[in-house]
Amino acid sequence: MKLGFKVHYAVGCLGILSFSCGFAPPPSQSIGADVIVTAAPIYEELAAVHGGERFPHGARLLLIHNGTATPLLPGFAGSADASVSFDGSAVLFSGRKDAGDAWQIYELTLSDRKVRRISESTSDAIRPLYLPGWRLVYAQKSGAHFQMISARLADTEAIQEIEGKGVPTAFPISFAAVSAIPSDVMADGRILFESGFPLGEGGTPELYLAYSDGSGVESYRCDHPTKELDARYGGHQLTSGDVVFTHGARLARFSSPMAQEEGIPAPPADYAGRIAEAGSGDWLFSVRKSVTDSFALKLWRPGSPGLRSFFAQTGSNLIDPVLVAARNRPRRHPSALHDWDYANLLALDTRISRDGPLTAAPASVRLETRDDSGRAVTMGTAPVEADGSFFVKAPADRPIRFALLDARGEIIRQEHGWFWSRRGEQRYCVGCHAGPEHAPENRVPAVLTRTTMPVDLTGTASQQPQRGGN
Amino acid sequence: MSLLRSGSARAAAVTAVVLVCSWAIAVWKDSGTVVSAATSRAQTGEVLEYASPVEMLFSLSGRQLYVLCQGTGEVRVLDATTYAERKRIQVGRSPRGLSLSANGELLYVANSWDDTISVIDTKNLSVSATWPVSAEPSSVVADRTGRYIYVANRISNDVAVLDARTGMEEKRLAAGRGASYITASPDASKLYVTHVYPNLTPLRTAPESEITVIDVRRAVVAERIALPYIAHGFHVTFSADGNLGAAAGLHPKNLPPLAHLEHGGAFADSITVFGSDVGQPVELPLDELERYSVRPFGVAITPDKSRLFVTCGGSEEVTVIDVPRMLRYVHAHPGSHATDLSASANYVVARVKVGHDPRGALLARGGTKLLVANRLDDTMSVIDTRTNRVTSTVPLAGPRENSVLRNGEQTFYTARYSFQGQIGCANCHIDSTFDGLQWDLEPDGFGRDIVDNRPIEAVKDTEPYKWNGGNPNLPTECGPRTEKFFWRAENYDDLTLTDLVVYVRSLPPRPNRSRPANGEFSAAQERGRALFNRTTDKFHNPIAEGNRCGYCHSGAKGTNQKSFDVGTKRASDNTGLLDTPQLINIAITGPYLHDGSAQTLEQIWTVFNPEDKHGRTNDLTKDELNDLIEYLRTR
Repeated sequence: MKLGFKVHYAVGCLGILSFSCGFAPPPSQSIGADVIVTAAPIYEELAAVHGGERFPHGARLLLIHNGTATPLLPGFAGSADASVSFDGSAVLFSGRKDAGDAWQIYELTLSDRKVRRISESTSDAIRPLYLPGWRLVYAQKSGAHFQMISARLADTEAIQEIEGKGVPTAFPISFAAVSAIPSDVMADGRILFESGFPLGEGGTPELYLAYSDGSGVESYRCDHPTKELDARYGGHQLTSGDVVFTHGARLARFSSPMAQEEGIPAPPADYAGRIAEAGSGDWLFSVRKSVTDSFALKLWRPGSPGLRSFFAQTGSNLIDPVLVAARNRPRRHPSALHDWDYANLLALDTRISRDGPLTAAPASVRLETRDDSGRAVTMGTAPVEADGSFFVKAPADRPIRFALLDARGEIIRQEHGWFWSRRGEQRYCVGCHAGPEHAPENRVPAVLTRTTMPVDLTGTASQQPQRGGN
Repeated sequence: MSLLRSGSARAAAVTAVVLVCSWAIAVWKDSGTVVSAATSRAQTGEVLEYASPVEMLFSLSGRQLYVLCQGTGEVRVLDATTYAERKRIQVGRSPRGLSLSANGELLYVANSWDDTISVIDTKNLSVSATWPVSAEPSSVVADRTGRYIYVANRISNDVAVLDARTGMEEKRLAAGRGASYITASPDASKLYVTHVYPNLTPLRTAPESEITVIDVRRAVVAERIALPYIAHGFHVTFSADGNLGAAAGLHPKNLPPLAHLEHGGAFADSITVFGSDVGQPVELPLDELERYSVRPFGVAITPDKSRLFVTCGGSEEVTVIDVPRMLRYVHAHPGSHATDLSASANYVVARVKVGHDPRGALLARGGTKLLVANRLDDTMSVIDTRTNRVTSTVPLAGPRENSVLRNGEQTFYTARYSFQGQIGCANCHIDSTFDGLQWDLEPDGFGRDIVDNRPIEAVKDTEPYKWNGGNPNLPTECGPRTEKFFWRAENYDDLTLTDLVVYVRSLPPRPNRSRPANGEFSAAQERGRALFNRTTDKFHNPIAEGNRCGYCHSGAKGTNQKSFDVGTKRASDNTGLLDTPQLINIAITGPYLHDGSAQTLEQIWTVFNPEDKHGRTNDLTKDELNDLIEYLRTR
């Protein structure tokens, strides 16, 4: 749907205002759809990952229609982070009515221009994304960092009935005690998000995945960058399935066949944020020649030698463009979390790791969590079998990490960061930092031949065999 | 959060689907029951017969293309250039394999469901003889000397050696379980036989398969190439020089808990390459980190040995391998790579989308074209092997409308509904049957309630489902349960679920080869039947009703649809109360008991029934147990 026709009247009414705001018709190329983009005088692209403000001088969503930009939400003092619904009929965004307000999540219905507020909090809520079904995900400021929240788009009785009375309208789905910023919703239904590496510990932005109920958190790939300049962020999945992101100031991709990123041979420039993929195959992204310039929107046909101008605005960084068009709806994840207040975690073979062979045979594993002040707290240890397997009952919805110990109790390998498991989650890992390319072998882990009861490392005493429903 | 965590919501949703299914099933019943999903009725009442092509073969002259149509029981003869249909030759029921005699004058067809070989005279394109064979013949190959015909028998796990002139069986050679596909080496000196069910291995150990190599000159087994971890083997192909062989196979992950699908958690789809080009056989995965080549089936190598093509039924594509790159990779990285999802990047160069459930692959014109038989949409995809693009899709004559059954069967065989398109129903129900494996399903607890995969033939009206009887009907079994714990992704809509359920309910039993055609049991079968139905033991003590074979295993399908504790509960089981399984074709669906712990029927009573909880059997002699087995073979 072309939003331009829908807002023609509004655009006309706002023409004087727009002109007075300095929006000059720039050179533009058609990509077959209107574009919504965030315009900001200053853009701190990695600030949110560190819990900070990306737009210290404010930001506004612009609608670009036939080469002309107009404010999408003139009644708001600030707006950013547009996410178009899968059918192209509505836009989620973060906005603030007055300059002093916290960022909140709103939804704009394109047909009637109605805006409704989704989030209700006193702290910032940013980067909303539609989830397949009836929910959205966004990042909510909690203390010093952003936490991902799953929330209903509407709190109707029908949705309550589908989800069940006990499921809250909104609930957190990230628990690393650091910022987690959603970046895209993958075709397979998982949420692609940005956080520091090592997760929960480090400061270099990296891309991670989690199911829409917060379970299954993992790095997208395990070829992690180690320097701040190597930040990976702004991930967006193309229709091909590849995920394109910004790595430092260049573009790179993850593709299905490869366990590590591949560089994208785009013209040398400074790239930032998420790209949009036009139906023509062109990519629309934010780019600037140098750090002293502002980001402008440019088009690039992958494989071609040069960038083509799409839209620029003096004094403004134009970032995170999205097309106002219908797109393929991802697959909804059917949550299979059990009705437990803990998680069961099985390691198939802790000896398998991208970090190389262990210096000694693992004899036990230590589970740590963090207390409210962020200090590591040991929850106990569990034996590691000769085949490298262990099975534990772990505290849910909080940071956890494992350390492998040898027979003397010395650490022989330790997770650098933290991860979390959801309440009722039951999953296994192939190894310790085995990488997503490492599939499980077909064998019964020795720990399950000895016992099907996980070692309770939750700090509670219950030791009953665990099972769920059908 | 759960989609249907609320009991009332789930109940309402399931009830709605059950009602829709019930309606659809009622309508379908009224339209007349059919025994094959390839034949069904349109809403207009018209009988829809789908060709369902599975294999193809060129005539020796190259001018004709023989297309084996499983659904209509035909060989369709097409012009090899224009694909115009020239003739249809009716063969037997559910044909599965075909091959030419060395001189090209005879075309042999293995008819799997009526146990015959059709011999077709290729000059006048008519059936000149129909030879009775046995045990679900699935593939047939003539030796080059014209002395023998070799037939792979799926349910007797062997290869029958027939006199090529008379069709009389001379002997059988033991092959793998579910022997199904025979490929001759390029010099015709050896035959390579794969099998679709895993050979029996100790409980909770990895499945194993083999390629049975037959020395054609002596008609003996010359070698058994081990395929460790492979549970289901399909076609084999060779390079023209005979130095490279490739076998399509399915490598399940049934031993660790089936907790999630990401990172190849359920299956590895692979080929095993062997021959002098590679040395020891090597399993190579076809999957990637987020894209899967589900259920590899047909294989073909171009004459110049540059490309290897693999049809993948579940992902509905052809996976294209660069052979020189693959060989370089194999030599540089010795050993199996089945757990490395990044390995295929080194040799897979394309994935070409084709039709529903692609099966046979056939190279044409010096290897410049690849034909693919798309079983479930009655088409052949023609792929330009230089560009890896489908240049045309050739429709076979037949109905273009999809019946409910056809929709259901497509749903059963596709992998598109599961997370990242990794698995479909047919992954565990090979050719709509079973897989001979035991799985550790996540919701029961890790390592708990290990369950043998039950066959689904004639599954209609045997509810409840699951060994613990936890699922009251097929819509529940195939709907919300499958979505949450198997697909781990958004499921089909209710109408598609209805189609699927109608298809599953339509599955007929395989013909029972042990049941006398005239209905007169042998003496041993009669004695076994008497034991099955007896009410007193050998000491004239009455047997309690619930401890008689015929009480729990009652009715035409051998189940009273109730749960009992037969004393087989293990410490890792959540319950000893188990749903009574149906007995349909019980003799060929081992291993037995809920966790597959009994490898044979006899072990059920001699090893796992010490207290006579599973029927009164400890008073029986070895011979009497044999009689009981003879009777059970007829069920």
